[in-house]
Amino acid sequence: MNAQMFNANPTIYVSQKSSRKSRFEAGQSLWVDDDDYDDEERSSHADVEPIDQDEIFELIRSISDPEHPNSLEELRVVSAEQIEVGDNHIVVEFTPTVPHCGMSTLIGLCIRVRLLRSLPPRFKVDIRVQPGSHQSELAVNKQLNDKERVAAALENPSIVETIEKCIETAESSRRV
Amino acid sequence: MDVVERSVRSWIATEKDAEVEKLVVGISSGSADFLDIVKALGEYLTSEEDDLRTKGVQMLSLVIERCPRDKLNRQAVRVLTTFYCSKLEDTETITPALRGLSHLVTFSSFSSLEVSDVLSSLFQQVKMKSLVQSTRSYVYSIVDVLINTYRDHLKNIGEQFLSGYAALASGEQDPRNLLVAFKIARVILTDFDISKHVETYFDITFCYYPIVFRPSPDDPYGINVDDLKDSLRACLSATPAFGSLGISLFLEKLAVVPSLTKRDVLQTMAVCFPVYGIDIAREFGRNVWNALKLEIFEPTDPLTEEMALGTLRAFVRVLASSSDGADDTIDTVLRAICTDSLGFVGEPDKTQAKAGIKVLRTLIDVPSKLGVDAINNAMETLIGLFHDPGEVSNRAAVITLLADLLSAFVVSVTPDPSTTTDVIIGMFIVGLKSSATRLPGIRGLSNLIRIPTLLTDSELGYIVFETGELAKKEPDEAEDATTDVLLLLASIALTAPHHLANQTLPSLFAMLPEQAPSRDAQTERAEYWRALRVLSKLCVQPTLFEILVIRLIAKLELLCSLSMAQEVSAGGTPRAEEIERSAAYAHALLVTLANTLSTKVSKTPPDPDVPKYVDQLLSHLFRLFLVAAVTSERRIMQDQRLLRAGARIVKLVVEALSIEQQQRFIDGVGAAFLHGQVKAVTGGDFPPLTEEFKPIHMLTAAQGDASTHQRETVILFAAAHIPIRKEVSVMKNPDVKGPSVLSAFLRDLVRWCDLSTCSTLQRGAASELFATLVNKHADDVSDFLDEMRTSYFPATLNDTRVPIEARRKAMDNWVSISRGLVVRSHPLALSFIDSLLTLLDDETVAWGAAHALGLLVADDGVLTKRNGAVQKILYVQKYFNVVLPKVMDGANKVDGTKRATAYLIALASLVYAVPKSLYATQISTLMPLLLRGLEVAHPEIRWQIIETFSNNVSAFSDDELLSTYASTLVVTVLKNCTVVDMPEHKVRVAALKCLALLPTAVRYDLLHPYKPRVLKDLAKALDDPKRAVRNEAVDARYKYSG
Repeated sequence: MNAQMFNANPTIYVSQKSSRKSRFEAGQSLWVDDDDYDDEERSSHADVEPIDQDEIFELIRSISDPEHPNSLEELRVVSAEQIEVGDNHIVVEFTPTVPHCGMSTLIGLCIRVRLLRSLPPRFKVDIRVQPGSHQSELAVNKQLNDKERVAAALENPSIVETIEKCIETAESSRRV
Repeated sequence: MDVVERSVRSWIATEKDAEVEKLVVGISSGSADFLDIVKALGEYLTSEEDDLRTKGVQMLSLVIERCPRDKLNRQAVRVLTTFYCSKLEDTETITPALRGLSHLVTFSSFSSLEVSDVLSSLFQQVKMKSLVQSTRSYVYSIVDVLINTYRDHLKNIGEQFLSGYAALASGEQDPRNLLVAFKIARVILTDFDISKHVETYFDITFCYYPIVFRPSPDDPYGINVDDLKDSLRACLSATPAFGSLGISLFLEKLAVVPSLTKRDVLQTMAVCFPVYGIDIAREFGRNVWNALKLEIFEPTDPLTEEMALGTLRAFVRVLASSSDGADDTIDTVLRAICTDSLGFVGEPDKTQAKAGIKVLRTLIDVPSKLGVDAINNAMETLIGLFHDPGEVSNRAAVITLLADLLSAFVVSVTPDPSTTTDVIIGMFIVGLKSSATRLPGIRGLSNLIRIPTLLTDSELGYIVFETGELAKKEPDEAEDATTDVLLLLASIALTAPHHLANQTLPSLFAMLPEQAPSRDAQTERAEYWRALRVLSKLCVQPTLFEILVIRLIAKLELLCSLSMAQEVSAGGTPRAEEIERSAAYAHALLVTLANTLSTKVSKTPPDPDVPKYVDQLLSHLFRLFLVAAVTSERRIMQDQRLLRAGARIVKLVVEALSIEQQQRFIDGVGAAFLHGQVKAVTGGDFPPLTEEFKPIHMLTAAQGDASTHQRETVILFAAAHIPIRKEVSVMKNPDVKGPSVLSAFLRDLVRWCDLSTCSTLQRGAASELFATLVNKHADDVSDFLDEMRTSYFPATLNDTRVPIEARRKAMDNWVSISRGLVVRSHPLALSFIDSLLTLLDDETVAWGAAHALGLLVADDGVLTKRNGAVQKILYVQKYFNVVLPKVMDGANKVDGTKRATAYLIALASLVYAVPKSLYATQISTLMPLLLRGLEVAHPEIRWQIIETFSNNVSAFSDDELLSTYASTLVVTVLKNCTVVDMPEHKVRVAALKCLALLPTAVRYDLLHPYKPRVLKDLAKALDDPKRAVRNEAVDARYKYSG
């Protein structure tokens, strides 16, 4: 890891429990524990649950920050609100902790690799820095959304190793 | 030549153990004399030939070793001792001689006279360095026996012994010998006057410290490093004389050793301080504190830090033992500890501040005023920081530190923190107002209330007032602090429920609307459910629970009467939609009651106030449900979901009743449901009946069956019976005598179930009744059981002319009754199971019968210990051992017919239902059958089989044989992963989970060929319409991509 820390003392927020609401809370049902009852009938085969922003957020929230032992969620780098899901198109925005953060590209790459592995191939994924949150916003965005540049970065073994380490936590934390 | 001589000669020639045995037997029985043996050995003992001499002494030692301890007289022992001592000079005989001596000293006629001889020859003749480990170990065992048996005598020898032993023991390297040597050293150090030999003994003990010896993995001697460390530690801490030498050595080691050894050093220091005493502690105080400071404030790892704190605690306790309250004697060291820690606490944004608090907390045990002063100082510092405008950004840290500090008082006996309580409460309350400091503030408050007798009643009231506000807020607003707030309030409720009753509960109850909110009023609905959930958490305490019950029942009554009033004013039946809204609201109320009750009853021991709710809660519930059941109009209390929630409450309350109370209650229930005397169960309160309440009656066709609503209340009837103990007599009918009443009832119930109008809910209730009644009263209903076997089975179940639907229903009854018998391992259970097995051959019901074979031992929540079921131990095992061979036989006949399939299904559900230890030994024969079972199209079966695989995956890695199935398993399970192949999402989830388990359990080379295929297929699963499936697919794919 670099000797230089771009943000030595970041603010750490509490990570939320699952953001998914039950059917009652989502207003789909009058009954408080509808999720427990007649599971058989509800799981009718036609009932499709489309991929939504919460699900994308679930996938990337526990990626660890390359600089700190915290997850992206705890550092408020990613949030469910910053994810847009359209028809076969997903836009993920993330907020670096400081505007001069040199790890932004790496964080973006981690998100890209995680989604590349976890989403069906029909989706196009755009990853952007939140407008105004980084001093070289354009450069980072360009690097993250240019196929050739991403491919090139993923051929560098040391980058891949760092990415693997970061998204490893995303895997293990889901096993609870 | 006599017997003894022959034995001796033949031993010398052959070294056969049997010869020694013969001699020992001879001595024990008195037929041989010890003298004879010595005589017979004579020529060998003095032989010129080295080899023969060694053998001679060896033989003698072997005999002594096995000889009974009382068979030698004083004289013989005396002679033998002298003999052995003389043999110590001879390098050829020293080993057997030492061996002999080591046993000789344990003889009862060995006396203190010989002790000096033995010791002096040991010290003079034995050169430890030239002996091997096993020989040295004889020396240690001789000294060990002597020091334990003749301690006073050794003390008299004094100097000579001490220096002699020190010379013997110095330079020992073998851990086996060291274990004994440390034991001896400990005795010498504690019991002997070693003032002249301190340095010598320091050298032969401390030279081993710290122990870094690590036994090889397959150590045949079973040396335990911890034993070794412990016995050495006992030596080091044996005498205060080691004090100054020891401490310097510890400090020196602490600075250089790696962290694992560091922990050992810290532990040893903690043990040694109390022994070394106050003077040493004072002398080295500064240095010790400096060393510990480094470990605590710059810790290498949390565990070492923890140990260092423990050492500090021991150290401080020693220091404090002298400072007898007078301020001028307080140690400069203690003062240094305080000032240093306070300095760190002054900078709350640094991590050292936390360590500073921990150090201060160790001071609380100091009996002198200093400890309390230090803590009060720290508090004042923190309070000052909190109010400093320049430190606003550190407030969260300050509050956290303060909360930590307070937790010291929870376990201590020292007086409470001084007058600053109200200031501290004020700080925490201010903390609640902003999101960053909220959680620390709540933690601080909960630490405060745990300090006994600190807070006044009005202060508690203030805390409740302030935190209660948070409990009402939406979780988003409160930044997820709700859970902690509730825990805090719930713990206040235990000591001061009146504050919650007066301040928190009223506003929560006010959040519950009079009427159910309209269908699109999602926020209102969310609000009442939130209020109810908070109430359910807070109202576990008896007083508060009583309030909760009264208020919620009132709400329920109001809901019921309002919906009736609307009906009248609208001049007709209200719309179904309105009924559903109200019913959903009523359901939420009931679920709240049930959840709270469940917390109360699941505690150990259960809350003692539960039984009184038979009258205060159950009677109201029964009245509301039964009133709704006897009208023909739509009522909210007729809803099945409400009935289910009601049944849950009934079960929980009845479970908590004593046997007498259960008897009284069940009599009332019987009177109401069987004889229409509804008032017996509603506490005497019931409006005039419009129609008769007779849910289970079906006497004559002319009267007609009971209405559906009435019939559905049977679920309450069943719930009332499930937790009833077997000692309570049920279905008592004052008019009829004898046990046949119960049989008659069960017979009626069978007919009741077979009616075409019987719904799933009703049959479920009936099944529970069958299971619980048969299980608890099997011997009273033998005529019913006989009738079931002799007429019901052939006439209904096993008769192909009976319509399929009726047979399936009959199967349910049959299964519940059998389950009641199987759980108690009743003799009749076998014949019931056999009947089920015969049904496997009947195509129309084979499926159900096969499935039922698993259900019989699956946990159904009815026949449990908590419900007082009669459970024989190992009943599952017995059942499994009976059924498995029969099912296996059937399944092994591969003929592709439906019949073979039925057996496969039976096998799958049976194996799924029992714990895996039962079939662990047979797994290799089961595997092929289960894999074949996966070909059966039915989703439920596939799910069971895949779950079984997942449970047993760990077995794969151990067994080469099972590894052969791994590849087949991957391919077959993979077929169940995509929505195209397997429409049931439950199966897809299980299949993906199973796949994800394989890479860690199975050798990589076995799975490698399948990797591309798995990854490709799982890519399809990533696009599954179900979220749960996608989640598992992501996981599984990750496992294979690595």
